[in-house]
Amino acid sequence: MTARQKAQSLATRGLWVTAIAVVALAGVFVRAIAYTPMDRLQGPAQKIYYVHVPAAVVALLAFSLTGVLSIVFLWLKDRRLDQAAAASAEVGVALSVIMLTTGPIWGKPIWGTWWTWDARLTSTLFLFLLFIGYLLMRGAVDDQNTRARFSAVIGVLGLALVPFIHLTVYLFRTLHPRPIVLKPSRPSLPDDMLLTLLLSFGVFVLLYLGFTMQRYALGQLRDLREEELHGAA
Amino acid sequence: MPPDNGNFMVAAYVVVAVVVIVYAVSLYVRIRKVK
Repeated sequence: MTARQKAQSLATRGLWVTAIAVVALAGVFVRAIAYTPMDRLQGPAQKIYYVHVPAAVVALLAFSLTGVLSIVFLWLKDRRLDQAAAASAEVGVALSVIMLTTGPIWGKPIWGTWWTWDARLTSTLFLFLLFIGYLLMRGAVDDQNTRARFSAVIGVLGLALVPFIHLTVYLFRTLHPRPIVLKPSRPSLPDDMLLTLLLSFGVFVLLYLGFTMQRYALGQLRDLREEELHGAA
Repeated sequence: MPPDNGNFMVAAYVVVAVVVIVYAVSLYVRIRKVK
């Protein structure tokens, strides 16, 4: 099997995983809206939690993976690591869009404001902007080696921000709630709500996998085309 | 009685669906172009 055929096969498999994840996401929507109990104090807006939190956690994991792959790339200089890091970063940005839009939509009815410049929200916005810069830089630099090296440095900086973002709710006085599941003690959620959250988390992981497989295959196909063009010239 | 804020929930779920579908289509189109 040629490299092109391998990349095309990966893209097709990624498409199937994405299709399954999209159908599963629709199922999560139905379960969250119709079959999960409503919070008495927050009302239906609390159900935004089931999409906001999994999107946020998977986005942060995606950026973390980009950082780890970037470190390994700087060590081994393997182009596939750079492409995998870039794929994870782009999917992380897409998931961050969900995190940064659903958060304010929940904040308006619960906090009374769409946005506040507290430590959690501001640092998350900075991480998003850092990876927007990462993607813009990749589009602007033509030389593959330079692009990969610059990207890796930004990826490592992004990784350094992730634990800080997690700790902001403990280190600063913020409006953002503290974790009620990802904490040392037992999750403070009724079982029905916890199951919906976990199902949604599983679906977002599946979405991440499907998207990343496709985005990685796209990077490989682009590189192969570039090599073919250089070979022809 | 719980507050009546279901429209915010609907807006959030619509945003999620739109972002997921737009990104999925964007990947599909870019891969088709480069294939």
